[in-house]
Amino acid sequence: MVNFIWDNLFRGKDGTRPLREQLRKNILFQDLNFQQLYLLENIVNVRHYRPGEAVFKQGEVGVGMYIILSGSVSITVEEIELNTTSSRSTHITHLKSGDFFGELALVENEGRRSATAFAHEESVLIGFFKPDLFEIIERNPSAGVKILLRLGEVLGTRLRQTTARISELKKESKQ
Amino acid sequence: MILISEMAIQRERRWKLLFFLLTLAALIFAITLMKNVFISFLLAFVTYYVLAPIVDFLERKGLSRQWSTTLPFLVLTGVGIITAQIFFPILADQITSLRDNIPRYIDASTKFLINFESQASSMIATIYPIDLKGGLEPKIMSMVQNLFQSLPDYVSQSLTVFFLTPFIAYFMLLDGRDFVRKVLSLVPNNFFELVLNMNHQINAQMGGFVRARILESLLVGGIIWLGLFILGFPYALILAVFAGIINIIPYLGPFIGAVPALIINFANGGDITVFWWLLVIYALAQVIDLALIVPFVVAKIVNLHPVTVVLVVILGSHLLGILGMIISIPLFSVLKVSAVSIYKHVIDFRG
Repeated sequence: MVNFIWDNLFRGKDGTRPLREQLRKNILFQDLNFQQLYLLENIVNVRHYRPGEAVFKQGEVGVGMYIILSGSVSITVEEIELNTTSSRSTHITHLKSGDFFGELALVENEGRRSATAFAHEESVLIGFFKPDLFEIIERNPSAGVKILLRLGEVLGTRLRQTTARISELKKESKQ
Repeated sequence: MILISEMAIQRERRWKLLFFLLTLAALIFAITLMKNVFISFLLAFVTYYVLAPIVDFLERKGLSRQWSTTLPFLVLTGVGIITAQIFFPILADQITSLRDNIPRYIDASTKFLINFESQASSMIATIYPIDLKGGLEPKIMSMVQNLFQSLPDYVSQSLTVFFLTPFIAYFMLLDGRDFVRKVLSLVPNNFFELVLNMNHQINAQMGGFVRARILESLLVGGIIWLGLFILGFPYALILAVFAGIINIIPYLGPFIGAVPALIINFANGGDITVFWWLLVIYALAQVIDLALIVPFVVAKIVNLHPVTVVLVVILGSHLLGILGMIISIPLFSVLKVSAVSIYKHVIDFRG
């Protein structure tokens, strides 16, 4: 009860504080100082989603990434079966508050989304898009470099994991 | 998980989209409703695009957004006052002298037209009778008289624009991004990425285009002023300012810009050497503009084929006259960016 009152007293109506906290906790923005986080907080886009509402759909042009502020998001891949031409939806993962997805779109030029993301419940997402990244690079290059280095690290880790998984699958198929 | 039906989500999105479009339409309507406000907004956009890189540069150097925005305006005000003190007396002298000499120049132009008319009539009079003097002279005289009579009105309107433009531009630079973000927050989720990206592309293209045009005008005006000054030609400054401003009209601008200097030379006795030098100066300014600025700056920014540019300018002149010629290229490039983005996002859905 005490925590509840304390949180609501200092958080503010617009939820500014959890937004900054969530940004600070994210790997992409963890190197930013207080001033750079303040700039970022005023640049990102907070979006609200209904349960079952698509955040983006597979095949759409991707412009940026999302961080889950509250709620949860499901990622699915649509596969078309050639024999029947009907599509089958495969559930890939379920993401919760603090998780992020779609970051590849920040570096791709008009890349297409490789999966569909939809809100699992009432969700609030922080959208960080290419124009936002460009604005940060223009106004505070030091913050831009910090974000880009972390983005490179994230994409490198994902690539390493994918390569390891492909190797595993190759080994399994030979056996 | 409680799922809301697809229909309910679609309905909510449709209402959001309608509300966003209505807000946008209301904003545009409110601006265009008042003539002076509309012109002030147009000029404020130009000021915004010219100053935005400077403001961003100052912010990069560690200044707050408030100071990064205020400082260029303070510097510009100072430079404006100093420039006005130096150039206004020269410009005022030149305008007064020009006003006194206008009847003489009109007379000289009329004589030139009569000469041309008699020569042309001797060749094609039987086919098409020409009466340039009778048709043009009264029109030119009334046009010039109207110009000087309505000068006080222009001045009072210009003063409104003069004070409103920097005021709007200042707040565009300071809070413009937050305002755009608030308007964009009204866009429904399924179009948000598309609209945000389109806004970014349009902004980048318009900024580049406006800066390139300003650079062109300064370059053309500067070369012409230097050339006329070295030549010792009268009204060098006013002619250079006129040529620089009129240069923003595609294709026609450079020719119109040269006309006053040629008329003045003709009225002053029509020295053939000066005539050729004038042609060289005006042509040189255009050659440098066409060889450096247009291919390396403008063409890359608007990314339009030269034939498309010609057709778009012709269409613009048909629809809105001179204003249409000036705004047709940026307007078309904005439409092109929007159409390509919408096509890629909505129609070319690879799945």
